Amino acid sequence: MTEVDYAVDDDMIAVVEDSDLPRRLKDNVYETLEDRGDATVEDADELAKAVEARYVDTRVEPLDPVGTVSAQSIGEPGTQLTMNTFHYAGVAEIDVTQGLPRLIELVDARKTPDTPMMTVYLEDEFATERERAHEVVWNIEATKILALGDVSTNVADMRVQISLNRDTLEERMITPEEVAEIIEDNLGVSTVQQGTDIQFGPEEPSYRDLLQLVEELREITFKGIEEVSRVVIRREELDDGDEQFVLYTEGSAFGDVLEIEGVDASRTTCNNIHEIHRNLGIEAAREAIIEETNNTLAEQGLDDVNVRHLMLVSDMMTNRGEIESIGRHGISGSKDSVLARAAFEVTVNHLLNAAIHGEIDELDGVTENVIVGKPIKLGTGDVDLRMGSTSPESGGQAD
Amino acid sequence: MVDVSQHELVPDHSVLEEDALEEVLDEYDIDRTDLPKIKRNDPALPDDAAVGDVIKIVRNSRTTDQAVVYRLVVE
Repeated sequence: MTEVDYAVDDDMIAVVEDSDLPRRLKDNVYETLEDRGDATVEDADELAKAVEARYVDTRVEPLDPVGTVSAQSIGEPGTQLTMNTFHYAGVAEIDVTQGLPRLIELVDARKTPDTPMMTVYLEDEFATERERAHEVVWNIEATKILALGDVSTNVADMRVQISLNRDTLEERMITPEEVAEIIEDNLGVSTVQQGTDIQFGPEEPSYRDLLQLVEELREITFKGIEEVSRVVIRREELDDGDEQFVLYTEGSAFGDVLEIEGVDASRTTCNNIHEIHRNLGIEAAREAIIEETNNTLAEQGLDDVNVRHLMLVSDMMTNRGEIESIGRHGISGSKDSVLARAAFEVTVNHLLNAAIHGEIDELDGVTENVIVGKPIKLGTGDVDLRMGSTSPESGGQAD
Repeated sequence: MVDVSQHELVPDHSVLEEDALEEVLDEYDIDRTDLPKIKRNDPALPDDAAVGDVIKIVRNSRTTDQAVVYRLVVE
């Protein structure tokens, strides 16, 4: 007997469990029965049967063109998406590509998104104390020299002079010695460090080299992750009323961030599906594509697109164990049929190459059969009917 | 190294036994090469998985409670 958390008697449980329903629908049925209070076993049976009938009715029929239906179901709302990138005004003041450009970016499986970002969740005390949360921020956000102090050039002596700000150094947990060392490693010069002052210059007195050094100095990342240019801390309320700090970053380096102390490596995510694939695997990438496409549509008020369509897209994109784009270089371009590929894009090239290699088209798919004028193998197109010679009443079956 | 399997985006992966695999292939009437693939170097793959194994993946589904899918390990 299955255990349920609802106040219904065993007979009711028996009839409901007997139906061909998924767990969530069964729970809904129990909930309704519980609310009624005075429901009998017959009522329960009737309800379960009715829900089951509706459920079975909504399932996809064999030979249903699910791909075509998905394409239309995403395509139509797609016409209502914004064509321009908008700023993310509400959450965290970070610019994120939205609307149509974002959707295209996702199905094209671009190597890096236009606006990479991460949502970094924190663990334990890092999530509850602002001080500790800031520690994580300094380990993520790229710190350049201009954030640490003032840089000036002394042209008379051909020296670059840095005067570091002690408070900033303390806050970001970095010592002047470390700064000097990083400069030596990166620029290949010898530095003179005294307290918070650091000096260095080119080997030969040259005005050009001096300016070159200053340029390079500005590029050095002293602390944090180079790819992450900005981090925003937000205090967010949890479901149970507690509050936690969550970090939003401009730029992403998902693998590096997961290793940082204080980062909750079980919830932190980023919007680059390739980074997710690299670090968490193909199943996580599938999940991320669904989540991202769904959010993109929902953000524009188009959340009535059934998630099954997005799941199908994501399943196709991750079917081969790596992320494939939808389009000429991905799924459409790797179809078996020459005619189907030629019908999509760059027709002549495909036909020419197929001719050179002597490719054979098996005419299994939809597109190629439409082209040659044969019935497509979908719906009634794949069912053969024949007249039977015996009547069902005589007990025999039509053959 | 971070424990990838703990991440909420990563569903449960486990290697499928040969006889259980037969049942699955019979049920759907397919070959194992018809299954979706997973790369051998996938971070979420269990340590004892080798090329040619079939991985059973139990997802928390959006449309039903749990969805079981299978992936074939490839190079």
